[in-house]
Amino acid sequence: MTAARSRLLWVIMAWAILLSACSPAATPTPRVLPTSAQPTAVAQVPPPPGFGSWQDVLKQARGTTVNWYMWGGSAVINEFVDTFYGDVLREEFGITLRRVPVADTADAVNLVISETQAGITDRGAVDMIWINGQNFFTLRQANLLYGPWAENIPNSLLVDWDDPAVAFDFGFPVDGFESPWSSAQFHFIYDSARMSESELPRSYDELDAWIRAHPDRFTYIAPGPGAFQGTRFVKQALYWTSGGYEQWVGEWNQALYDVKSPALWEKLNSWKPFLWRKGETYPANENELHQLFANGEVDFTITQASAGAGPAIAAGLIPESSRAFAFREYLIGDYNYVAIPANASHKAAALVLADLILRPDRQAGHILPESGFGLGYAIDLDRVNATDRALLEQSLGQLGPATADAAMLAQAFAPDMAPQSQSAIERDWEANVLRK
Amino acid sequence: MRWEKWRIPLSLAPTVAIIIALFGGGLLYGGLQSLGWQPLIGRTELSLRAYASLLTSERYAQQFRTGLLLTVWISVTSTVISAVLAVLAALAIRSIRRGRQLSAFLLQFNLPIPHVVAAIGVLFLLSQSGLLSRLGAHLGLLQRAGDFPILVRDRYGIGIILAYVWKELPFMGVIVLAVLQSLSENYEDSARTLGADVWQRFRYVTLPLIAPALVSSSILVFAFVFGEYQVPEILGVQFPRTLPVLAVRLFLLPDLNARAEAMAMSVLIAAIVILIIAAYRWVADRGAQRSGEA
Repeated sequence: MTAARSRLLWVIMAWAILLSACSPAATPTPRVLPTSAQPTAVAQVPPPPGFGSWQDVLKQARGTTVNWYMWGGSAVINEFVDTFYGDVLREEFGITLRRVPVADTADAVNLVISETQAGITDRGAVDMIWINGQNFFTLRQANLLYGPWAENIPNSLLVDWDDPAVAFDFGFPVDGFESPWSSAQFHFIYDSARMSESELPRSYDELDAWIRAHPDRFTYIAPGPGAFQGTRFVKQALYWTSGGYEQWVGEWNQALYDVKSPALWEKLNSWKPFLWRKGETYPANENELHQLFANGEVDFTITQASAGAGPAIAAGLIPESSRAFAFREYLIGDYNYVAIPANASHKAAALVLADLILRPDRQAGHILPESGFGLGYAIDLDRVNATDRALLEQSLGQLGPATADAAMLAQAFAPDMAPQSQSAIERDWEANVLRK
Repeated sequence: MRWEKWRIPLSLAPTVAIIIALFGGGLLYGGLQSLGWQPLIGRTELSLRAYASLLTSERYAQQFRTGLLLTVWISVTSTVISAVLAVLAALAIRSIRRGRQLSAFLLQFNLPIPHVVAAIGVLFLLSQSGLLSRLGAHLGLLQRAGDFPILVRDRYGIGIILAYVWKELPFMGVIVLAVLQSLSENYEDSARTLGADVWQRFRYVTLPLIAPALVSSSILVFAFVFGEYQVPEILGVQFPRTLPVLAVRLFLLPDLNARAEAMAMSVLIAAIVILIIAAYRWVADRGAQRSGEA
């Protein structure tokens, strides 16, 4: 009894702190009710497999716990998820959110694989995974995901499934086995206390010249599992050296890759004498690059957030004077998703959560830098009602000064390559650049 | 009487059961997967393909070879340096009269500190933007922090070796010191009266007495360092990588087909450690016999 009461008290206090600490912009968002479009939406989508109706899903979900496995390396994000989604789940849907932090999404994927190998087919520990690209590919390859359900939840009507960037995850068809949470686009960060905006490179060509003119001041994340940002940087460089991304869209073309990739490795190797540590080693992940940037060892780091440098500044990883900036071309953007394992114990609760994260009032919150993500929208602004649209646009106006020019980002947008490119580039970069 | 007969097997049973179930089960399962057993993606036939691929394929052979060299280099160097320093430290502590307890405490205070913490400590202290480098730049000893020598995330694993020495020296020191303190100093006194100098007393009296403890603790340290993942993950470079780091990376590859190689790598790590320890024991035993004969 006392435990329950102190828990309640704690929750109220957390809310109070959250509400008072957030910028005034964030205050209205948590309390906005579901969109007016929702009742009609319920009627419009067929129910997810195994359920008679969406009401059935809500009923079965009530009183259960959803175990959400997600990368847990940021205290800001963790707290945001616990309150911004957890509180609503409990109050409106009677669902308890148990966020399970993992160091790498592959850990959750391996858990599902091990459970299934051990014969656990319907009471698995993982109810939902924050996922994309390769890990999604792995679970689909092993046929370990529940679905298709992503177009059978009410708020999926707000998602533009005709957009190939949504419907294909790293070029691999989503087919309803995962539902988007947010979007991201690769771009760069500099320190406005150290450099002025006019000195910034605005394309790979200019970056090439910049690197040669500033020895030891640049490096990039080593492409590899757990460091997709590094792979992405190299893919963009491939778009550049091969003369455009259009040829890479769609099915994986090994022959084209075999012809075009040697020039890429040659270019990256030609940077080596001018790179940090002469290209003898590279930062292994985004945090290591942030650290080098914060220590003044290199002049650029990277971000995937529409809030630019904001989330990393808020997390205390990089200086307050950091600002995001875009190139004019070849900046890969994509969506990230949530998926439900086939052996999940609480599929109904996971479905409710997947639906909740698409709700306009939740979407309007996660893009703000205070959330720790600052990632872009997963829903299409043209598909929401006027009230929600105003709310979403209001949030876009509050991304803070650390963001890159949105128009330039949009102009530079490039889609990702087919999933086979991921391991091909990681493997060949190691063989042709790292180990040379 | 009957009960007595079962007493020892029964009291050992829980330990043996845990070892067989967890360790043996894991080893068996890993071994099976290294042979390509992956029913999830429809693979049930067994082959040595993953081993061949590690040892000969263009994709893995170079990484495996350099990884093996680096791993052996790090484990041997860390073990030898730790052993030598541990013996010196133990001898020194035994010989001092005042403050011996304090010295013994200083020798072993870091025993409970996890290896991850040791690795991060080395990183903060010795990286090019670390404490020492900043201090050097601040005092004007270095023109800029980047002039500090590359001691962590270097190709030769210097940072890794430093972290291991810092962690393993106390471990071996404590063991050697315990043996030394349990020995009577009479042996050395007798040797002294017979005219043995410092070196002779150490070589022919003290060393043989502490050798068994030194050998077993060296084996423990070597085997541990050879299979350890955390320190080289934090302090290592992208290439070359130690075998355990390579194995974990292969295991984390999203492509389930690489699972076999990851497991084959782990089985090889276990096999190499067992072989090296067996060889070492064999040499050490022969050495002990020979000195016994002499």
